[in-house]
Formats: sequence, structure tokens, C-alpha cells
Amino acid sequence: MSEDLGQRHSAFRFHGTWQEFAGIAFPNLLLSIVTLGIYRFWATTREREYLWGKTDFIDERLEWTGRGMELFIGFIMVFFLIGLPIIVIQLISQGLIFRGETIIAAVVTLIMFLLLFYLTGVAYFRALRYRLSRTYWRGIRGGSNDPGFQYGLSYMWKSFAGWTPIFLMVPWSMISLWNERWNAMSFGPHRFEAAAEWKPLMKRYLLFYLVPFLVFVGAIIFGIAVAASGGQPDALGSSGMAIGGILLIVAILAMYIILPLAALAFYSKYFRLAVGGLRLHNLEFEFRARAADWILFFLANMAIIICTLGIGYIFMPYRNWKFFIDHMEAYGEINVDELTQSETIVSKHGEGLLDAFDVGAI
Amino acid sequence: MTTLTFFNAWHYDGKSAVRRKVEVQTIGAQFFLLETERRHGPFAFADVEYVAHKGDADVYGLTGQDGWRLMLSGPVPAELTAMLPARRRYGGWVDRLGLGKATIAFTLASAAAVAVVLFSPQWLAPLIPSSVDKKLGDALVGDFGGRFCSTPAGDAALKKLVVSLDTSPRDLQVEVAKIDMINAVALPGGKVILFDGLVKQARSPDEVAGVLAHEIGHVREKHVMQALLRQMGLAVVLGGVDGNSGALVNNMLAMSYSRESEAEADAHSMKALGNAAISPVATASFFERLSELDGSARGGDESQGITGYMSSHPLSRERKKAFEKSIVKGKNYKPALTSAEWTELKTMCTQDRKAKSGFGFDFE
Repeated sequence: MSEDLGQRHSAFRFHGTWQEFAGIAFPNLLLSIVTLGIYRFWATTREREYLWGKTDFIDERLEWTGRGMELFIGFIMVFFLIGLPIIVIQLISQGLIFRGETIIAAVVTLIMFLLLFYLTGVAYFRALRYRLSRTYWRGIRGGSNDPGFQYGLSYMWKSFAGWTPIFLMVPWSMISLWNERWNAMSFGPHRFEAAAEWKPLMKRYLLFYLVPFLVFVGAIIFGIAVAASGGQPDALGSSGMAIGGILLIVAILAMYIILPLAALAFYSKYFRLAVGGLRLHNLEFEFRARAADWILFFLANMAIIICTLGIGYIFMPYRNWKFFIDHMEAYGEINVDELTQSETIVSKHGEGLLDAFDVGAI
Repeated sequence: MTTLTFFNAWHYDGKSAVRRKVEVQTIGAQFFLLETERRHGPFAFADVEYVAHKGDADVYGLTGQDGWRLMLSGPVPAELTAMLPARRRYGGWVDRLGLGKATIAFTLASAAAVAVVLFSPQWLAPLIPSSVDKKLGDALVGDFGGRFCSTPAGDAALKKLVVSLDTSPRDLQVEVAKIDMINAVALPGGKVILFDGLVKQARSPDEVAGVLAHEIGHVREKHVMQALLRQMGLAVVLGGVDGNSGALVNNMLAMSYSRESEAEADAHSMKALGNAAISPVATASFFERLSELDGSARGGDESQGITGYMSSHPLSRERKKAFEKSIVKGKNYKPALTSAEWTELKTMCTQDRKAKSGFGFDFE
């Protein structure tokens, strides 16, 4: 405990280097290729062991105790419980379409979609639970006794409720689901308390929501302005066409550049609010990345991937974790005597569901 | 025998988050952890498992004791290290073999798995009982949503074509479907479906005969079942690969095989045409026309397990040449159908008003 408190900026600190991570990521890539991808579960595990092990919380490093085999079993379970049934259902519905039973095929497909949607919600929940139950700090872990089936239902109805009023309630559904998820989790003997608010998120959301309209209106105004100053259209027929073309390109570029930026601005606010509303006993959390940080982070990721012709992709877990930890902050105090072992159950399989649906846990 | 060793050892008991500076006291196959005023243990070395390398310390856990940790750093004596489990780097098998050897072993195993999946359908497909094949075809096609066209004269003309092209036409079910696409498909259970669009655009019955013989070739060579088995196998073997790259590899492999089976079906077609004394000239000219379409960006969208005619990939120009080559000079070719029969076949779908047309939805 010889930490220099004066120099410490945050309760969370990350000590990893990308060079060290490369020593893990490249063999992982090699082994994943030669095993036709099966090694990737062990690859993920090794990467997490490194990232967690290089992360300080106050005065002790985190520990990832998940195993590749757990993730593999999760994947196999998903393959047999969900993947195969889906293939069969798809075959059946194709046969139905072939026979002209379009309505039945549509109903079957709709039911399949709803089921998948439900399972996606369950997957989010269980992935978070799995990750907490495999994360140790000073020999203590987190977890939850809730299997997440109820959460799957919440995920369904809250998402639908968020979309129904022309997608205007999405911020509410996101925050509400975050709170529900985290309120079911605990670390050691303490339950997380998540009370993030959704209303402060609306302004950013509307910004993102309105971008397409703003670009459209802007393009029209610009067009009118050009037309007004451009003189006779019949004399400038071809240049008028050119201006129209340029306008179209500008509008498309604006959509492709401004829309992601607005999305990042929204997400940064969401994450700040969500983490900010989280408590664990006497600890409070904060996520300090602002919109500009997210945008820089995102652009740097793009640059890395493009400049390395895609190989830089293997560094993304490192970049994500570093970004996450660098901006995490915790306040308050922990009584290590009180922080006793978690009584929650430990499931033997990993994030199979989540892995299958390709979503992140937090 | 008791040994006390002095190096950095920290301990978490897994019950609380209190960190304890300890000394390790080894007694045979067991050990105690000594604090200034407390003694933890005894613990068996056999229960110790490797957890992680953290900072400069090796972290050990204890089987059955959640969160129990022993962290050792500094000059750990060799006697103690010998009692503890080895470091884990990549995971069980790779650590045992070493990265190089493991890579080679995995490569060989993967290659073997892919080879089995690619080559076994060729001899597995004929082993599948024809009743299964038939059931699969029936389940898939049924009455094709009432899109099959039928008139007495048209059916007779079609039957004449099939009989002239195949020696055991009874286990084939050839139909013309009222769909305006230049395409034909071979499906499980000996089903061949000619799309009306193809029949209508054909300039002679010989042309339809060439296409039909090609599809019959797919049936006789068991290509459909092979393709189905191969797709299923690849889906399993490549299931572990990330979505996109897996699908890419899968499609590339499937494509190269479809090319091979197209060539086989072409060969079958030429032979059947020869036996029936139908000239391959018309089929060659059909490919001539197709090759013009080829230039206008034909997509290779092939629905899985169904060997499409248009989506087949040997270049149409080469196929045209092959069919031209198969012309035997001086042979007495006769038309595949009389002009009356040909008209009946061509107008069958127009005449049959009961048959439903099109798909009634966007077909992929």
C-alpha cells in the first residue's frame, strides 16, 4: 500500500501497453485462424486476463478468472439451443414460401424474431452477470442471483415502448434498462444501486434525432440561396446541374459524418449519466469522457484500422478497455473488512448468448 | 520437515477483502500461511491452482475456496515453485505442445476437418436413401403453390423430352412453373423445375432439351444432396469463425464446387443430347446469348442447396465452346420435338389458366 496518493488521478488506473498486448493479440490471431476460429474463446479470455490484470482499483489489481472453456460451452449451448432451431425454422419457412403459404411463413418468422429479441435482452443481462462473477478484486467477486429471464421481458416491452412514439422514448428505455440491469447486480455483499435519470438525455437525443431534418432543411436553404444568386438557370444549365450534384454530395457527406458524430455525442452523454447514477454501498462512480473524447477515440480507432489494413482491429479490445478505465472514476470509501465474499451463484457457462448476438456487455 | 522462506507473499482468504502479508510454511504436501498473530491452513499443494500473472506476482487460487488467493513475488525458492502448478499462457493444449507445434497441429486438424466436409458429400450423398431425398423434395416443393402448368398436349411434349434424355425417367418429376424468369432448378427427390420464362425465350426445343438434360445431370450426379450436405458441414466447421469471414470462405468453397458440378452437369447434358440424337448447336447458341447477359453483371446469388442454372459459374462463353465441340459432324440430328409439340410446350403456361403466376412476393 505504498501508493502515492498525491499523484493518483483516479481510483482506476490502467498500466498496460499496446506492445505487451500485441504479444497476446498476435498469437491469438494466429491460433484463431488455424483452429477455424474455435480458439477465439480462449483468445478473449487471455486478452481479458491481461487487461484486468493491468488495471488498478485503488491499491489492488483486478483479476479475470473466466475461462475459455466457459465461453466455448456457452457458444455450443447457443448453437444447439438457438442456432440449429433457427436454421430449421428458416428451412421450414422457406418451404412454406415455396408452397405459397406466405402468411404462415411471415407469422413463423415474426415469432422467431420476437424470440430472438427476447433472448437478446436475456443475453445482455447474463453477460453482465458473467463478467461481474468472474471479476475479482482483493479476492472478492460480484454477480447476481437473477437469471435474467424477467429482464428479457422488460427488454422487450421497454424497447417497444421506446420506439412506439416515433422513437422519441429511446433514451428513457435505454436508461431504464440500464438501471434495471445494474440494480440486479452486486459486488461482494453490496448491491449496486442504479438511479440514472433519462430526462437530461433528451436534449442530446433530439440533436441526433433531428440531424437528418436539419441537413435536409440546410440543403434546401443553401440551394435556394445559390439559385437566387446564380442568375438565369437556362444560361447556366450545366453548371446548375453541377451545383445540384455538389449539393447532393455535401448532403450525403453530412449524413455520413454529422450523423455518427451526433450519435457519439448522444452516447457519451448516455454513458456519463448511466455510470454517474451508479452506486455501490459507499462508492459513487463517474465516467469522465466527453463527446469530444469519444469522437477522438472513434476517429483514432478508424485511423488505426484503416492504416493497418484491418490488422489493427485486433487492438480494439485493448483500446476500448483503456478508454473505459482511463475515464472511470470512483469516489467514497470502502471498508475492506465489510467487503465480504459474494454469495451469488456462479454459472458454469460464459457469454454464449451475447457472443452469438454480437453485442457488448456494458 | 519445516522450511520457512522469506519472499513477498500476500494472501486473501476469499471471505473478506482484507489483504494479509504472510509467510509460507511448508510441511510435506501441505502448507500454512502465517500472519503475525494468525495461522491459516493447512492447505494441500494438490488443491492449488494457477490463476494469473498480475504485475510482478504470480497469483494462485485454491480449489473449492472462492476468492482464496496467494500472491508470490520476488525470489520464490525453487522447492516451493516445484510444489506449485505451472504458469498458464495460452491454455491447456497449447501450453503443453508449445505455440509452434500447437499451430501446426491445429492447422492439420482444421485442414482435415475441412477436407472431410468437402469430400465426404461425394460418397455420402449416394448413401442417403432415395426415400429421404424424395421426402425432402416433397417437403420443400409441394405443389409449388399451384404454379405448375399443365395441359394434356404440353405434358405429353414435356414427357417426350424427358424420355428421350433419360433412361429411367420414372424417378424424375419435371415440371414447368409459371414464373417469368430465365432459370431452371434441380431440387432434391429428382425434381426439375423449368421456369416458363426460360421456355418462352428459347428459340428451339433443342435448347430446352439441353437445359433440361443439364438439370437431369444434377439429379443423376446427386449434386443437390451433395451441396446440402456440404453446406451443413461447412456451417458446422466454420461455425466458430466470425460471421463475415466464415460466410465468405463458405461461399467461396461452395462456389468452386458449384462450378465443378456445373461442368459435370454440362458433360451429362452433352452425352444425353448425343444419345437422343438432338443437336447441341441450339444449346451452344443459348450460352452465346447468356454470355451477353454475363457481361451485364450477373450476380452470383445462389440460394443454398439449389443448383440454379443462371447462377452457375463456368463462363457461358466457355460452355458454349464445349457444346459446340460436342457436335459430331455428319451425325443425323433430329429436332427434339415436332413443331406442333414445341408450340404446345411453349404455350402451356399461357393455356393453363388455373396455374398461379409469379411468386406473389419478392423472391430472394
